[in-house]
Parts: sequence; structure tokens; C-alpha cells
Amino acid sequence: MRPSLVALLVSLAAADPAAAAAQAPDPSHLDELVHRARTLRLWEDPGWLRLGHWRRNAKGGWKSEVDGTEFFRALFGKTDPRAELEATLRGFFDARPVADELSDAQCRFPARFAFLAGRLGIDLARLPPRRCPRFEAFLERVRPRSVTFVFSSYYLNNPASAFGHTFLRLNKEDRARDGKAYELLDYGVDYAATVDTPNAVLYALKGLLGFFQGHFSNYAYYYKVRQYADAESRDLWEYDLALEPGEVAMLTAHLWELGGTFFWYWYLDENCSYHILGALEAAAPRLTLLDHVGKVVVLPSDTVKAVFANPGLVRGIHYRPSIRTQFLARAEKLSSNDLAAVERLARDPSASLPTTLSKDARAAALDAALDQLDLRHMRELVVGTAPEAARARQVLLERRSALAVVSPPLEVPPPADRAPERGHGSLRLGAGAGASSRDGALAVLDLRLALHDLGDPPDGYPPLAQIEFLPTRLRLAPRDGRAELDESWLVRVLSLNDLSRFDLRPSWRVKLGAATVRDAGCERCLAGQAELGAGFTFAEVLGVADLYAGVDAAVEWSPRLAGISGSEVRAGAGPGGLLRIRLGKRAAVLGDARWRLLPGASPRETYDLRGLVRFNAVRGFSIGLEVRRTPTADEGTGLLLGYF
Amino acid sequence: MRLAIALATLVAAGPALAAQTGGLKGTGAYGTAGCGLGSLAFGNQPGGVQILAATTNGLFGSQTFGITTGTSNCGAGMMAMGTKNFVEANREVLAKDISRGQGEAIGALTVINSCGDSSKVGAALQKNFSAIFPTENATSDEVTAAILKTLHSDAALGCGRS
Repeated sequence: MRPSLVALLVSLAAADPAAAAAQAPDPSHLDELVHRARTLRLWEDPGWLRLGHWRRNAKGGWKSEVDGTEFFRALFGKTDPRAELEATLRGFFDARPVADELSDAQCRFPARFAFLAGRLGIDLARLPPRRCPRFEAFLERVRPRSVTFVFSSYYLNNPASAFGHTFLRLNKEDRARDGKAYELLDYGVDYAATVDTPNAVLYALKGLLGFFQGHFSNYAYYYKVRQYADAESRDLWEYDLALEPGEVAMLTAHLWELGGTFFWYWYLDENCSYHILGALEAAAPRLTLLDHVGKVVVLPSDTVKAVFANPGLVRGIHYRPSIRTQFLARAEKLSSNDLAAVERLARDPSASLPTTLSKDARAAALDAALDQLDLRHMRELVVGTAPEAARARQVLLERRSALAVVSPPLEVPPPADRAPERGHGSLRLGAGAGASSRDGALAVLDLRLALHDLGDPPDGYPPLAQIEFLPTRLRLAPRDGRAELDESWLVRVLSLNDLSRFDLRPSWRVKLGAATVRDAGCERCLAGQAELGAGFTFAEVLGVADLYAGVDAAVEWSPRLAGISGSEVRAGAGPGGLLRIRLGKRAAVLGDARWRLLPGASPRETYDLRGLVRFNAVRGFSIGLEVRRTPTADEGTGLLLGYF
Repeated sequence: MRLAIALATLVAAGPALAAQTGGLKGTGAYGTAGCGLGSLAFGNQPGGVQILAATTNGLFGSQTFGITTGTSNCGAGMMAMGTKNFVEANREVLAKDISRGQGEAIGALTVINSCGDSSKVGAALQKNFSAIFPTENATSDEVTAAILKTLHSDAALGCGRS
């Protein structure tokens, strides 16, 4: 176990730099240290392996996930933890002047330095003294006393953030404080791809295939709050971590080490969330984090659960409501009379407020109107493309300040049922059996890499969103010995937006992938499909029902498809509707109906009607009953679904 | 061993905070927090950058701040710079908090400028709203100057003394 890092660092600090400078570095000490490391086989120590991000590869050797060569002192350090350890020790004794402090091992690898000093008992007086002004400046800027793990919730309007995002906040305080003002000035550290293309297709490909470099960066936390909570309306969940002071220091020092290099960024697994956990594990080897996330896909919400899998690690949970949540909280407190005033202000910022309203009530109405305007226009306001909204905002602000009353702080209690750690597992596997009017008995296999649909248990997820990555269904019909891919979607997303007097934004859905055609367009061919739909939603009708109605457009392609004027492509458009009825938290009924006109193709129209009932029997498992009618067959299936 | 001293300070010491009544008591310790953000002029990015940002991680996502290359040239005594950086990045929410006389952005300004009590600061800024944000087009420099003037023209706010 590492001796108290605090004590070590205090003793380091006590060493007189002048005296140390007068002393020549002692190469014999290097030999002693290398000998000690060999006796201890220190390169096999989990603490060392984590600091270098070495993982076992398939052949039983080691390979570091870090891809920048500057992260290694040894030529083959990426695959040789032992050579890297010894090269690092030698580097500490290298007294030659360096042009850049990052070329010096002491300045470049402060966490390795602390680890090796603790384990091997480095005698500091026998080391060449080094100054590391940039590292010192970094510490001075960040000054961390504690660490918070932050989850920024799902943001469907952006593919890169649809699954959420996690990052760290290095706090200048031991504990979060009332008023939170200090947090804004703390530093956030995140790991993100450095994107070098404006092309969305290239972006997706490069992200999936690891062609972007990923870098650790730091930001003032306010910058993150403005981006996520204000501009993108994403709630932030903040988890204070119970780290020892020495672990906080190690994390900071290790982030410095990682900040000067890069990893190839993999959107699916070695992503933002993965390496944040890796950094935490390196700083605190007692933690087990990466073992708790998936091997194929690592989602930000999975990493939140991994943090919770270490008992006692989360010592406090804070919730930072997005601008949308803030507006809804303000609106909830207003009477229908006041809300009518807010609505008038939204149309005309100069609209007079009823004289019957008290000063505080007028302030509350103006406060709500301002939040509502920001909810709608924040992004344009920031880039300066909405002069009219800016003008309206200025009028509201002036009216609000002229009232000269102080608004009470807006308290929004954390919505416990939305907490990401409470969500079902992101990987879903299912198996079941059923019958088809055309094929007889059926066996069905269901796989979904991530994340959530409207029938899954609702805790921990946005209530009106469906975000799926690779939902896939295989269908076996034993009578004909037929196995087919029923459907498989690269992405399937549904974003419902509750229509209200303050929010008229449409709902939308999109899917991209392949599905077997269930009409006379071909004999059960698998066709590539892209579909986009938009419509409007009324949520929580009578408290239980969500209703969507809209229009979809789709393109399908298969070499066997009877498409537009003899081609292999057909395009369709038509109405679609969706109904969900929630029966408590454990059960949901869903109906999905689509009808399409297929101009120029044969047949001229098609439809797809589906219904399902899901019951969340025990934690992690659901039972599903599904029925479906298409032009070619009626089907019914029973499924057992597990969430992992 | 300045490195060691810095590390030791980091883990062993830290600013002690005075007891507070009502609002937040600033320490001045955060005066440099905004360093590195001064380059963030949100409005004047070329269109391509904005499109890029929109397809990746949102509006602000295209700028990165390297950990090892981060700016380190704004040391103590740069309170005005801290305020300016903060105003630039938080202008919208700051205007709203000032109009309300209360809020997190006011708390942060209180800390950056080591003022005594955020509730007094909030009231003073609210009173001067039209001087601070005379129009929606006031520049960040103007807003910053007006805020600093408000904070420092009333000794009762106790700003600038840590």
C-alpha cells in the first residue's frame, strides 16, 4: 500500500532546493532503485500497470491503451511495463538540461514519480533537482481538494451526445457548498475526440473506427454548465467521490500525464467515459471501475453504475437542473393567472401585467418568462443570430430588475427516478417464441447493444425518449427451416416533445438500418431502410397515456424490391401514430401504426401495425407480448428480455 | 523541489474560508479561474466552425484547452481579467441573475472579486442593472467595467480585500 502521499510530499517540500542543487545526482542510487524494483517485480503491480494504462492483450502480453509516443520513456514502453518503469527511473536521474519541461521525466510524470518514490523509497537528496513551472502553474490553477464525477444527461439532438457524457470536476473545496458559486469556478476535466471533419458521415465513420485522437482537456466548470445545462438543456448529475487527499493529488498529477498525450478515440468503447474511469483507477488502485463496464460498448450511464459498484465511493449526489427543468419548476409554482401573464410576456415582452398581481408575483412571472425565452433561444443568443430575441430579453431583464425585489433561490429537488444509476442495464438480450399466420411456429432472438425504448423500465431514463443502438431481431421458422434477419437498425431514435402552451416544438423519430420487407414488394427480401418522421405529442394524457401522431418518410432499397418504375428503390410516405400507456412503473402498453403510400412502386401502399405489452417482472428482467399485422401475415410473440 | 512544494500545498493546505452569514464570503483565491477562457469569443467564429460544432458536441465543443499547454500567464492580481473572462462566458445567465438580484453567477462574481456577501452584491448589481447592461449589444468589456465599478464604488460590499 502506498505510504501516505501527503507525508511524502510534505517531506519533499521540506527538502531545501538550494542544498539539493548543491548536491550532485547520485547514479548509484539509481542502481539501488532499479534493483529494488526488480526484487519487488514492481512492474507487475496493479498501481504501476494502471498508471501506464497497460491491459492484457489476447496473447498474454501487455499493451497500453495510450497511443501517443511521448507517454513512454522506453522505446517499447507501450508493450513493456518493465522497460518503461526502468526507463522512467533512469529519466528521474537524467540531469541534462531540457528545452521543454515535458521532455523531463520528473516534470512529465509526476504521478509515476509519486508512485515510485512511495514504493521504492527514493532519496530525494540524491536526485537531480528540477523545476517544473508549467506543472506548478497547472496545479496553482486547478488547486484540487476533492473530485466530483459528473454525468450530463442524454441529448438526442446531437448524435455524439445522445447517450450522455461524463467528466470530472476538480474542486477547490473539500465539499460542495451551498450556493454552488465555487463550483462554477472549479475546473472540469474531460476526455473527448478532437474532431477534424465537418462531414457528418466521415465523423460517424472515424468515430466508430478510432480515427480521431482523443485528448484530455480542462475547462472552467462554468463553461460546461453553460454548454450542457443552458444551451443544450441537459440536466447534470454530480457525484462527489470519497477519495483520500493523496488520491486526489495522484489523480491531478496523472491527468497532467494524460493531458500531454492522446488515445485513439473509439466512439463505442474507448470513449469519453471509459478513459475517465481509467484515470480514476490509476489514481486510486483500490477502486475497481473498468471491470464493471461492458466489453463492446461503454456508455456514460454504465460508468455511473460502475462508480456506484464501489460501495462508499459516492459520498454525495447533487443535481443541476437544466434551463428546461428550471423553467418547468418555475411554471409549476405559478397559478393559471400568472401563467397566462407569462404567456403574454412570451408574445410581447412589454405586455402589461395585471395590477392585481403582487410585486413578488410579477417578479415570478418575469423570471419564468426569461427562462422560457432562454429555453427557446439560448443557442442563437450566444452566437448572436437572434437580434429580436435579444431585444425581447433585454426588455424583460430591465422590467425584472426595476421591480427591485430579490427572487428566492430556485430549489429543484433531484428527480430520484431519473438518476442514471437507477437505470436498467444498457445491453438487452431476449429470446421468445410465437406464431405467424404464414410461417407457423416461430422462435425469436432479440439483441440490442443499447440503450432504452419506450417499453423498457422507465427509471433513470428520459421519460419521452427512445435511443437505440443496434436493436436486432432474428426470426426462425422451423417448419420451413427458415432463418431471417427480421430487422437490425444502426440507430433508432424517437424524441417526443410534450406539446404545451410554452413549447410547440415537434417530436421526431429516425431509424437507419435494414429490415425484411413484409409486403408484396418482394418475397421477404432484406432491404436497407432509412426513415424520418415528425409530428406532435401529447404526454401524460389522463396521467398515463402518451400520444404521438405524425408523418413519416422512408426510403428502402433491395436488389429484389419492385421499386419505383422497375428500380430497386422505393420511397414511401404516410401517417404514423404511437400510443403508450404506462401502468405504474412496471408495465407499459404500446401501439405503433404506420401506413405508407409507395408512389410508382408495386404494391402502391403498405402498412405495419404493432402492439406490445411489457411487464418488468424482477429487476433486470421483463416479459413482453407482441402482436403485429402486416400485409403478408399476422404474428404473435412472447419474449423474455434481460438487461445487462 | 518547487514541484514537490506545489504538490504538498495542493494536498496539505488550501484556502481557509471565513465563516459566512447569509451570502458567500469571497477569498480572492479564485481570481484566476477564468484564465484560458478569454479567447472564447462566442460570436465571431467562422461559420464552418459553428457547423462543425453543431455536428459534434454542441455549440461550445470545438475549442479545447490543453492541460499541459493551458495558459498560465494570469496570476494573482488579475481580478479584473477573471471578471472579464467570467462575463464573456456567462453573460446570459449573469444578466438574468443580476436582474433577479440573486443567483449562482452572482456568487461566482463575489468570489472572483473577493467581496464580502453575495446577497449585498446581488442587490447592488440589481440596482445598477441598466448601467451594467444598458442595451443588449453592450460589449463584454463595457459590462465588465460597469460591474467592477459597481462592486468597488460601495465600500460596504467589501470587494477586493481578501
